[in-house]
Amino acid sequence: MSGVLVTGADAPIGERLVRTLLDDKRVSHVLAVGARPLEQALPFTNDRRLTYLSVDLRRERRVREMLFGPARDLGVRTVLHTAMGRGAGEEGKGVHLWNVEATRDLLALCERHPTVKTFVLRSYAEVYQVQADLPVLIGEDHPLNLSPNAPQYVRDRVEADLHACVRMGLSPLRIVVLRCAEVLAPGTGSQLFDYLESPICFRPMGYDPMLNLMSVNDLVEALGLAAHAGEQGVFNVPGADTLPLSLCIQKWGRPAIPVPGAWMTPLYRWRRQLRGHDFSYGMNRRRFHYSGVLDGRRARDVLGYVPSHPIDWPVSG
Amino acid sequence: MSLSLDIARVIANARLTDEQKARIQALHYRDAGHGYDAFGMHPDVVALGEAILGPLYDGYFRVVSKGHENIPGDGPAIIAGNHSGALPADAAMTWLDVLRHSQPPRVARAVADHFVPMLPLLGTLFARGGMVGGSRGNARTLLEAGDLLLIFPEGVPGIAKHFRDRYRLQDWRVGHVELAIRHSAPVVPLGIVGPEEQMPQVGRIPVALMGAPFIPITLTPLPLPVRYHMRYGAPIRTDLDYRPEHADDPGAVREAAARVKAAVQGLLEEGLREREGIFA
Repeated sequence: MSGVLVTGADAPIGERLVRTLLDDKRVSHVLAVGARPLEQALPFTNDRRLTYLSVDLRRERRVREMLFGPARDLGVRTVLHTAMGRGAGEEGKGVHLWNVEATRDLLALCERHPTVKTFVLRSYAEVYQVQADLPVLIGEDHPLNLSPNAPQYVRDRVEADLHACVRMGLSPLRIVVLRCAEVLAPGTGSQLFDYLESPICFRPMGYDPMLNLMSVNDLVEALGLAAHAGEQGVFNVPGADTLPLSLCIQKWGRPAIPVPGAWMTPLYRWRRQLRGHDFSYGMNRRRFHYSGVLDGRRARDVLGYVPSHPIDWPVSG
Repeated sequence: MSLSLDIARVIANARLTDEQKARIQALHYRDAGHGYDAFGMHPDVVALGEAILGPLYDGYFRVVSKGHENIPGDGPAIIAGNHSGALPADAAMTWLDVLRHSQPPRVARAVADHFVPMLPLLGTLFARGGMVGGSRGNARTLLEAGDLLLIFPEGVPGIAKHFRDRYRLQDWRVGHVELAIRHSAPVVPLGIVGPEEQMPQVGRIPVALMGAPFIPITLTPLPLPVRYHMRYGAPIRTDLDYRPEHADDPGAVREAAARVKAAVQGLLEEGLREREGIFA
């Protein structure tokens, strides 16, 4: 692997990914792309193998100039696309441009790029449908959430994911789609993290579904393995923590209060309106009732990915 | 550890014998990292299940069972039995019977209808005891991992059968043998005599309640203390008699399902002949 381009480099996951790539001697150069200006983006820029560019991915011309300018000159062979809107409350055409059209444009440009050979999309477990009559263990062939009533946060992720999948085999690129478990960390857009930030956590009475969560380190490791691997395809990337919702709340040091399911929506709507939180119960209602755990066997067998960095829970035991 | 598991542990410690605790300890299950398997099963809740169901098994239904040697000690397998009784006490008693008598101890992963995981409290409690929702994907994953499944091919129509249809097997679904053939898993037929008379059902109110498809009208509000007679028959070796590709052959699947149904019917007739009365 020579040059690597990382989008979303000014977000916590992108930043950690850039650091990890810089520690990898096989990587000749890292082209980090973020939305923020350099001085507000990466805190480390003195590495000669790192170039940071502030590029608005919604502007196709800017992306083209970046790809066919600095990226080509640096011999970028792999694109790790991690940039996507992080807020569940972010809606509208501009967000769609960012989440979907930017992915579409970036992929199309990479396909006719002289040096790029591999395109890795960081996708999300949220693309999958979770319901009582579907398997608990989610394989790559599990039904996707194609409901027109799904929030834009989900619809955009499904659309971007499917677009990358459709191009597999048609594109000259090796395309890897990683459907990653939720990263329980600040600044990552984690709905559960925002939920757990409350001093008390309400949960639907009578339900305690199994969740799978991952750490930033495991996600970065999976992205690195996908960049190196010779295979293309869709891979579920689970985290090291599989546990019930109640235990998750407990390990975060919060009291859990079971309430009738019908109360959950208004309670969290008020919280959202009054406190400005991002957690949307409507978006999480099904997974707060029914278990859904990513099956990572394909990622293990093909990419060699095994989750090995559990979440650093505030409450141990 | 959570309060509910602490309570489960206290109850199990107080109620179970040392031998029963040792069997729970010896259970093979795949801890996904926090003491639960990916489906939510937890050995402490399995122990609680034994502690709660034990008095019903020993004192109320006075279960008598035969043929435990037919339950494979390891590897994928399916127990297929008749289903009846308005309430799934037959599933609970079979679950406990397998837990107590399989060698080495195994948990029968009951495959429940889709509405069961939707039931508040019960859906979670059953999942902690090893139950899974009745999707093909769940069954496939468990068989691939070498688990023992408990399936009632009659499904809800079995548990909802009218009293006049007792011990007459209802429409016998074929999914269990399809899975067995595909995953080279033997099918152990099970005949349960007793529950078909526990709560005589004379009608039903076709109103869906909390996911359940109807409300049964029974002659008694609670199950009668009938005696359960369970018989496990010789395994039907779908792994030897069929190749995995036969799972896509409707004729082979129908034939295998008919063999299982005939075996269960035979076990029921044997049990009915031998018992001395509904309560004896």
